[in-house]
Amino acid sequence: MTLRDAALLKALGGDPRHIDGSALFRYASKVVLVGGAYYIAAILGLRLALIERNVTPLWPPTGIAVAAFLIFGWRVWPGVALAALAVNLPISTNGLAAAATATGNTLAPIVAAILLVRVGFRREIDRLQDALAIVFLAALLSMLISASVGAGTLVLSGAIPASKFPSGWAVWWTGDAMGVLVVAPFLLGLFQRPWSGSLRERTELCALLLLVATVSVLVMNTDLQLMFLVVPFLGWIAWRFQQRGAAPAALLAAAIASWAAAHGLGPFQQGTLFEKMITLQSFNATVAFSSLFFAALVTERTRAREALERAASELEDRVARRTAELSTANERLEHEIAERHDTDRRLRQREGQLAEVQQAAQVGNWEWLIPEDRVTWSDEMYRIHGYLPKAFPLTFDKAVEQVGDEDATRIRANLKAALGRGRDHDLPPSEYRIVRADGTERVLLGKARLSVGPDGQPLRMIGTVQDITEDKKAEREHRIAETLQRSLLPDRLPEIPGVLLAARYLPATSDIEVGGDWYDVVQLPNGSVGLAIGDVAGHGLRAASTMGQLRMALRAYALEEGSPSQVVGRVRRLVRVLVPDIVTLIYLVFDPESGTLRFANAGHPPPLLVEGNGQTSYLEGGLGPPLGATTHPRPDIEVAAHLDAGSTLLLFTDGLVERRGASILDGLTRLKTLAADPSEDLEVLCDHLLDSMVTDEVSDDIALLALRQVPLAAGPLFLRFPAEPQVLAPLRQTVRRWLREIDADPSIVDDVLVACGEAFANAIQHAYGAKDGLFEVSLVLSDGAVEVTIRDLGSWRPSPGSGRAARRGGLGQRLMRALMDSVDVNSGPGGTVVRMRRSLQVEADRERTRAH
Amino acid sequence: MNELARIESEQHGPLCLVRVYGEIDMSNDRDVLTSIEVAVARETDRLVVDLTHTTYLDSAGLALFLRLAERMQARQQMLSVVVPVDSRVRRAFELTGLLSVIDVVSRSEDALSETRPGSSNDQG
Repeated sequence: MTLRDAALLKALGGDPRHIDGSALFRYASKVVLVGGAYYIAAILGLRLALIERNVTPLWPPTGIAVAAFLIFGWRVWPGVALAALAVNLPISTNGLAAAATATGNTLAPIVAAILLVRVGFRREIDRLQDALAIVFLAALLSMLISASVGAGTLVLSGAIPASKFPSGWAVWWTGDAMGVLVVAPFLLGLFQRPWSGSLRERTELCALLLLVATVSVLVMNTDLQLMFLVVPFLGWIAWRFQQRGAAPAALLAAAIASWAAAHGLGPFQQGTLFEKMITLQSFNATVAFSSLFFAALVTERTRAREALERAASELEDRVARRTAELSTANERLEHEIAERHDTDRRLRQREGQLAEVQQAAQVGNWEWLIPEDRVTWSDEMYRIHGYLPKAFPLTFDKAVEQVGDEDATRIRANLKAALGRGRDHDLPPSEYRIVRADGTERVLLGKARLSVGPDGQPLRMIGTVQDITEDKKAEREHRIAETLQRSLLPDRLPEIPGVLLAARYLPATSDIEVGGDWYDVVQLPNGSVGLAIGDVAGHGLRAASTMGQLRMALRAYALEEGSPSQVVGRVRRLVRVLVPDIVTLIYLVFDPESGTLRFANAGHPPPLLVEGNGQTSYLEGGLGPPLGATTHPRPDIEVAAHLDAGSTLLLFTDGLVERRGASILDGLTRLKTLAADPSEDLEVLCDHLLDSMVTDEVSDDIALLALRQVPLAAGPLFLRFPAEPQVLAPLRQTVRRWLREIDADPSIVDDVLVACGEAFANAIQHAYGAKDGLFEVSLVLSDGAVEVTIRDLGSWRPSPGSGRAARRGGLGQRLMRALMDSVDVNSGPGGTVVRMRRSLQVEADRERTRAH
Repeated sequence: MNELARIESEQHGPLCLVRVYGEIDMSNDRDVLTSIEVAVARETDRLVVDLTHTTYLDSAGLALFLRLAERMQARQQMLSVVVPVDSRVRRAFELTGLLSVIDVVSRSEDALSETRPGSSNDQG
């Protein structure tokens, strides 16, 4: 059994191994149903018999059997066989003939069903091939079996003579075939899935069927040959309802015609049996064929149309979808185009900005594609080199042609080294000079980066070039000015015992150039100290150099002139002939011994006095116009003030008190408040003032000079001085101040002072020639006496020789011993120590005058 | 006034009066000596140096006057030095015995009023 056979068997009978109780019942029911239907149909069919009693022109049971086998499978054959036997027994000559006929009648539908299944017959008969199959295979071919068996049996059993075999066979064959053609489609249609037709369609179907029946009955009841009139109605119903309408209509028409033929009505009134037979069978065949084929054709056409429509609609869908996709894609594309356009515009904008920025910053950029030796310059590159932008195509050699020989050699050497390294890297920044076509020289700063290929060969170099000519010039000027100014400000302040000094200089942050502020402290020969603070209007090299000249001039005048007003007056005359600038200045002389200060002010902010008790006041006297402001000023005036121990004096330039958006008076008031703590360390005070007064950026230079008088005699006095005659006066002044502060009697002060002076002079004289010689002095108050120690690094020469020094030395020794209670000289290779002592007690009875 | 010493001079015929202000020490003794000598006119018979306003004078100053006295003597000129009794520099002259070597007077009037021979110890 092949696979195909198995499928066939299954299609026809199912799997016999799975027959259980209920299945058996169902099977029996089917067998009984089929058998019953067959039998009833046979009885009805026999009424239509034309020959004897068992040859009928339309034999419905065959159609029932074929339909049953197609619907239930061939296993219901017992129903068919038994019913056939039951039908034939009474009309056959004997039992054997009935059995033979029944066998033929059973076998023929089975073969028909098998053949139909084999060719893939569809029970809906909705294709032309199905119609062809049922006509030719099931009806005409398969019924040869039953006709041959049946007609043969009739002859053999003697029911009809052998001469009547052909006509008997033909009637049998056509009867069975018509039964298949007319009944099977109808039955198959009944077992289709339920029809979902609307009420209107159902009504129309019924009306049409009724019409067919009526027309059939009418044409059968007239003598006229009008049977063909049925056909258009069959066509109509087949067109409207296909097999669903055609099969019942055909059955109706065939049944009515057969009935009419059997009863000799209408068209069948005349003629021989054969003629009637021919007429009926041709009519039935026409009815069956036309309804079957027409219905199948219409169905097929409809399906084709539907398929076409479906395809068309699908196509339409697909087109719509594709169109939508295309539209989306198009939109996206348009968006992209717009975006690209936008990006392009932005890029061009940025390029424009870049060019502007490059022009403003005087920075150009370049690219060198090394294998092709093609160089591209930005517009600014051309401008830096003195050309119009994009004036000519470039190569490396062309690009460096303006570079000076020395620089070009260096650049080429650097380049060669860089190209040989075989990896991406930044070249060190390089400064070089070019000479433009018009002869002007520019200083450029170049930076570059090299990119290499996978095997290390140089591919591309990019870089920037900045025109730093102006920067270099400004930098040079700034450096000079700064150096100048730094060299002009005192690098250290003199050390004066009992006097604290502190100074600050803060250059303006916003201005890269230096300003013209200055301060100075000069130690004067008489032990006083000169303080100057000034401000040359303007900035830069010229202000700095003016300031330098004025500072030197002021120093010279300060050493010559005793009074501050005279010093300021002389500087004023100098400014008038020397410099075109406006200058403000305060010159002040302070005597540490007495605490007296005198000053003259040429248009400068007044000094601030902070007394020991915290009281603050600006010293506003002694004011004259700024230097250079008027051509014929009145003589400068000076005023005096007193600085007690613990008092502080602040000199400053306007940068400290001037602030944008605030009046100078506010600044002065603020400074007064901030400086009011007299106990604050002087250095701390300066820092504090700068921090507090200068909150934002320094818009102008600031110079600040602070002086504080402090008590000397709070303890022993220790001094160290260079061994130079110039220190004698300040040294005596300090000693005098100390002695006064310890309340020594004036006569004793003078005595000790002379003795000390002699000892100092000796120390200085001994140290003559010694480089950077120093000597140390200490004064200690001990048991009501002053103990003075002078230590030097020279050698003591007690015996006077001849000449001035010897004479002075001798006199000095005598004086020392006469003035002091004791004088002790210890001389050694490391130096000499002189110790002297003098009681502070005034001894009127001391006969010092008689010492000699 | 910031120089250590300052010189003022007046010429009254053959009499030259020089006043020394300030201090004399080793740092300025030569300058003071030169200034005094420059101030003395050629026709001067007598030089009076007034130390009333001199606030400090030590062995350098004393040596200066010894030398000045020698030079004056060599030129046949007379030298008197005015050192008031309450002068801060008087003790230096006293303690070194220069009163016996140089004509020292207590008051300038004494020096100016009378032409006297150059050795007097009257101020004892």
